[in-house]
Amino acid sequence: MFGGLKEKLLAARNRLSGSIAAAETQTAAPDQAAYTPAPGSGTNARVQKGAPAAGPTFVEKMKVLITERELVVSEKNIVDALAELEMTLLESDVALPVTDAIIAHVRTGLVGKHRKIGESVDALVLGALKDALLEVLGKGFDLSAYIRSHGRPVKILFTGVNGTGKTTTVAKIGAYLKEQGFTIVIGAGDTFRAGAIEQIGVHAGRLDIKIIQHQEGADPSAVLFDTVQYALSHKIDVVLADTAGRFHNKSNLMNQLDKIRRVMKPDLIVYVDEAVAGNDAVTRAAEFDRAVGTDAVVLTKADMDSRGGAAISIAYTIGKPLMFLGVGQAYDDILPFDPTQVVDELLGGS
Amino acid sequence: MLDNLSTSLKDALKKLAGKTVVDRAAVDELIKDLQRALISSDVNVKLVMALSKAIRTRSLEEELPKGTNVREHVLRIVYQELVRLVWASTEVKLEPQTILMAGLQGSGKTTTTAKMARYFQKKGLKVGVICADTFRPGAYDQLATLCQKINVPIFGNPEATDARQIVKDGLVTLKDDELIIVDTQGRHALEGDLIQEIIDLNEITKATHRWLVIDAALGQAASEQARRFHEAIGIDGVIITKMDGTAKGGGAMSAVAETKSGIVFIGSGETIEDLERFNPDGFISRLLGMGDLKALAERVEQASIAEDVDVNAMLKGKFTLRNMYKQLEALNKMGPLKQIMSMLPMGNMELPEGVYDVTSTKMVRYRILMDSMSPKELDDPALINSSRMQRIAHGAGSTPDEVRELLKYFKMMQRTLKTMRGGGGKFDMQRLMKRFSGLR
Repeated sequence: MFGGLKEKLLAARNRLSGSIAAAETQTAAPDQAAYTPAPGSGTNARVQKGAPAAGPTFVEKMKVLITERELVVSEKNIVDALAELEMTLLESDVALPVTDAIIAHVRTGLVGKHRKIGESVDALVLGALKDALLEVLGKGFDLSAYIRSHGRPVKILFTGVNGTGKTTTVAKIGAYLKEQGFTIVIGAGDTFRAGAIEQIGVHAGRLDIKIIQHQEGADPSAVLFDTVQYALSHKIDVVLADTAGRFHNKSNLMNQLDKIRRVMKPDLIVYVDEAVAGNDAVTRAAEFDRAVGTDAVVLTKADMDSRGGAAISIAYTIGKPLMFLGVGQAYDDILPFDPTQVVDELLGGS
Repeated sequence: MLDNLSTSLKDALKKLAGKTVVDRAAVDELIKDLQRALISSDVNVKLVMALSKAIRTRSLEEELPKGTNVREHVLRIVYQELVRLVWASTEVKLEPQTILMAGLQGSGKTTTTAKMARYFQKKGLKVGVICADTFRPGAYDQLATLCQKINVPIFGNPEATDARQIVKDGLVTLKDDELIIVDTQGRHALEGDLIQEIIDLNEITKATHRWLVIDAALGQAASEQARRFHEAIGIDGVIITKMDGTAKGGGAMSAVAETKSGIVFIGSGETIEDLERFNPDGFISRLLGMGDLKALAERVEQASIAEDVDVNAMLKGKFTLRNMYKQLEALNKMGPLKQIMSMLPMGNMELPEGVYDVTSTKMVRYRILMDSMSPKELDDPALINSSRMQRIAHGAGSTPDEVRELLKYFKMMQRTLKTMRGGGGKFDMQRLMKRFSGLR
């Protein structure tokens, strides 16, 4: 999914390096000619004032000084390139406040930085961008390691707004964990949406996973409580609890979710959102985190040609790790998320 | 729903208020705020750039009409350009037709299909629904359950795998129905097979309309997806779903610009009635904080309750429990309070958060409690002491705590109305209420 973002980031990176390199030649050229006025950093101005009166010896002295001194990247050098980077991030669905934060991070990483003339411009820019993105994306989340290191059953509750793909994700994670040799039970906690119980039932049947379900309209807390009881008495490793999609601004539904949390006491609360979501991703991730808490995030529909900005936005807003990416309609279309790999890939390796 | 966007836009416009000469710097600043506002509402970045360029040029070049100030001048241009952006309202004809639903996974096609069936059914058409989603488990059950509730015939087969065959059979079975809605599987533009499938379905059904369902939260991907769907089957209308969340629907705006179509419906809730016709003027008006009275009018008309709300009493400041009872009754028919409030031209008025927290179930409980009060108590809630509370609670099968809660809510409503009256100035409650009551 990060294809588009990668392309754009590469372009932006080239722009940034270009701007700094241009600033460099600008600084160097007038110093040697000593007379041509040039727009540039404050150092230039001083050189121009001093140079005409001083004569050749002074110019020679300056040459030595310049080749050995460090170059200071000024804000002016990179302002255009940063504006372009900003557009890039916005076009890639990174939410506005998050974009602002990343730009600020890159700017402080670059501006005022002393750099020897020999040092590669590219490395400098790359470093700043990489730092910024890694800081935002944080660490990944290894689910199987978590389950191995915790008491059974590990109870995982899935939350999110309507239509993000919670039910499909529950099925996919069920298949993933089953492959790893864990025993699983699914709780059909979406008792509201018509057809939801049938949907998760069919998935569970296909994957040969035990499912606990009540009828439509039942109390989801009760369903999930029963699921946990079943897991306890049958020594099952993992409980996957599906819930109905709900909007974060519906206080009654959020209270219901809170009740579910109190009743089933999940070990992990996994927030599911779609990779194609725009700025609202930030608002709702924050609201869910505030209302019931979030331990890890799953992003679905990453195979739609999204630029992956939602991943960056959500991770930045709630500071919780991304666990999986959903990348298709088959059960094995789910990828554990590795931030360093993604960032490396985004910035073209090295 | 469009709260944040309009707040920041309003701030930007405020900076221009009172100016009589077009000030380049101020216009630039407004454009910048406008850009940020639209981008944070998920409108496509390129679209925003084009739009803001047009607004800037027009604001600086067009002569200031006599008797207007710069704010009005720029506001008018912003308004016109935004209206141009959402194109025209797609007409919904009440005649025999076939509608093909298209959209990404999880955008709300199935729910919207049922809501549309209900909408057209209420308008007096004979509606039939075909479920062509052969992929997602439970899709047929979902649609069947929803249609059963409103007595709309549905054709589908959860066992079959060939959507094309289902649609062919369905068209034969439902040939007596005037309006047929074909619900399809969710797909995205990169899935070649599925795109081919919907192209085929379009040919089989000879659909009158091909409507694209867009999640209000969809981001920058909206343009690209809409373009490809448009290339495949020629989208002639867009439906925005999940507008009851906090998403602003900018993605739908991009989709509309991309398909050169209009927004047909807005889905704004989980029940089958939560579907309203889209009105571009109203949409933009709401965007600019002018209030969307037209959409409210449709709502009021549907619930036909205008006469129930005693506007005069509320205006005079005699807001009693009796008024609240009527209000709750009316609101129950009209939908959540917040939805209604967001349609009124309140401008930047802040209502206390608690006012919205009363859910529909709570409203029902409150009404039951009020049913157990005496007429005197209804007229003068101050009478209610703890022994009366006990009696009311007994009569309603409730607890005195709930009675107290109700009284607290009543006081909050009373205060809110008082501040609305006292607002004065820009916001004229009297006029608003007149319009509100004139809607019947």
